[in-house]
Amino acid sequence: MPADDSARGRLMRMSSARLALLYTALMAVLTSALLVSVYLLTRSVLEREIAIVIRAEVEDLADDLRLGGVERVAQTLRLRVDSWGRTGAVFLLADAQFHPVAGNLSEWPRDVVPGISPLSRSDMVEFDIMARERDAEVLHPVKARVARLANGYWLLVGADTSERQRVLRRFGLATLWGTLLTALCVWVLGAAYARRTARRVREYATTCETIMQGDLTQRLRVDGSRDEFDALAATVNAMLEALERQTTTLRTTFDSIAHDLRTPLYRLRVRLEEAQLRSPTSNEDLIGPSLEEIDRVQRTLATLLEISRAEAHGLTTHRDEVDLATLATNMVELYAPGMRAAGLEVTLEAPGPAMLMGNRQLLAQLITNLLENALKYVPSGGHVWVRVQNTPHEVVLSVADNGPGIPAADRAAALRPFVRVGDAASKAGGSGLGLSLAAAVARLHGSRLKLGDNAPGLIVHCDFPSTSPPITEEKPRA
Amino acid sequence: MHLLLIEDDAEAARFLAKGLRESGYVVDIASDGREGLFRATEGSYDLIIADRQLPHFDGLSIVAMLRKNGRRTPVLILSALGSVDDRIEGLRAGGDDYLTKPFAFGELLARIEALLRRGNLPEVTTRIRIADLELDLLGRKVVRGGKAIDVTSKEFQLLEFLARRAGQVVTRTMLLEAVWDLHFDPQTNVIDVHISRLRAAIDKGFERPLLHTVRGAGYVLRDAG
Repeated sequence: MPADDSARGRLMRMSSARLALLYTALMAVLTSALLVSVYLLTRSVLEREIAIVIRAEVEDLADDLRLGGVERVAQTLRLRVDSWGRTGAVFLLADAQFHPVAGNLSEWPRDVVPGISPLSRSDMVEFDIMARERDAEVLHPVKARVARLANGYWLLVGADTSERQRVLRRFGLATLWGTLLTALCVWVLGAAYARRTARRVREYATTCETIMQGDLTQRLRVDGSRDEFDALAATVNAMLEALERQTTTLRTTFDSIAHDLRTPLYRLRVRLEEAQLRSPTSNEDLIGPSLEEIDRVQRTLATLLEISRAEAHGLTTHRDEVDLATLATNMVELYAPGMRAAGLEVTLEAPGPAMLMGNRQLLAQLITNLLENALKYVPSGGHVWVRVQNTPHEVVLSVADNGPGIPAADRAAALRPFVRVGDAASKAGGSGLGLSLAAAVARLHGSRLKLGDNAPGLIVHCDFPSTSPPITEEKPRA
Repeated sequence: MHLLLIEDDAEAARFLAKGLRESGYVVDIASDGREGLFRATEGSYDLIIADRQLPHFDGLSIVAMLRKNGRRTPVLILSALGSVDDRIEGLRAGGDDYLTKPFAFGELLARIEALLRRGNLPEVTTRIRIADLELDLLGRKVVRGGKAIDVTSKEFQLLEFLARRAGQVVTRTMLLEAVWDLHFDPQTNVIDVHISRLRAAIDKGFERPLLHTVRGAGYVLRDAG
């Protein structure tokens, strides 16, 4: 069980980690989508703004040109020679050979060769200018428009975009950090929440397991947070309450039925025995079988009671450390002479101690029922194998025979009370409780009784959680 | 031998008392737990037979109170509760034996006899002799009429149990309990096969049989002569 537990715990932790990761990824994608779109929007707004400013300047200068010719344009530009320092505006009026006439650029940018086309809105150019800033030469990117004036002169109007690019770069960095921070926060919160969820689910699973082992008094923890888990726990607890009530009622009913049936059976037996004592010879043919019948009813009753107890009690049943190998040997010794007398061969394989926690009497009853079934159903000349194996985590008991077996379709039914499968079973006239008691005892010990095909015959398997390490090496005897 | 029967079912009590008196016992009847406890503490009985479910005090409380007061009187508990756990509870409370209703009167008689004679058994016995049959308990050997008899270890355990109670009736359930430590009745008569094998081993070829079947009750090892 512990190995099982940790495996499930791991799985649960993994699934909650996956959940946290998924949320983180989702949040990161959403946040970055939001921030990137804001970034793109801002950039386009800034670019449009620059374009508008440049266009307005160009239009102003075009007015100057129309009104006062090149000279007026040059004059305006001379007035604005310091505009770069203030607004980042860049102007240059050059003659047809690109010699500067006026403006705040010292020369026509070398990499800008304007198209022959007249002034149009789309022919924006980009270049870098050198500027002296605190005794250092710094490159400033510029976006500009170039227009060819009517007299063949060239006019360049642009804007220094370094400020805008700095803003955008900062914005980009902020976007990146924002996305990372959001992702980190989401991941931390998600992981914490997922851990809490996993812890509670694990806690519930552990409690439910204890309950399944028969301790119906256990309840799921309600921590008063009124969250979904509390609601779930409260509902499950209400269900457990009902279940415990029903089980108690059932148990009390069973106990009183057993008592109420046994008392009249007891009196019946007492009267028959008294009749037998009074005149030992008369009606012996009636009294003897009647007494046997009473004993048979009593045995059925005891078995039913034991099944119901095994199902209802679970953990409360008395448990000790039992060596299943010794027990099986003991039981085979008990049955072997009877089986040999019935023409059956018995083989026992129990190589070493096979310790498990359990109720010795109930386990003995389990083996007894399997052996008695073999005795009932395997025809003379058959063979019965009893094996007890000790593997690292479990003790495996198997009882196999080469008798008629049970068809695969009937196996599940064969484990239910009062079900007799096949013609042989009807003829053998058992109580129909043997296998269902065996199955109940197996369940009580954390195992499951499995019926299989021994080809030919029946094989019954039971694996119990072991309490001892297996014997790995057999020491040769001196 | 003086017995106290604590049983609230009047008819069963009457029948049991009658049968026990016919078998030579002196029997007092108490019909509820309070009277039973009073009589058990006041009187001096060789054995107490107590029903488990009784008015006022149940059988287990009676045993527990007797044991607390230092009374070692053997107590046989009768009960309609027959599960493995009920039995363990009964024996833990201090009961010496536990019989589930309904039971055969012969079974009760055999168990009473076994409990009464338990005190007389010499603890350290190394040899038991019945007629010409001799058991060496240390060497685990069986000799009859000077001839060594080969028996399996389980057969030896069976024989020893019978020999220690020579002359007493031993029931199948007593044998199952003592030799195989099983406290339930198997459906088939597994014990009979073992007894017949044991009988074949010790009685075959000898004029006087020692291992006898008592109809409706069990077996007895005795020198019939």
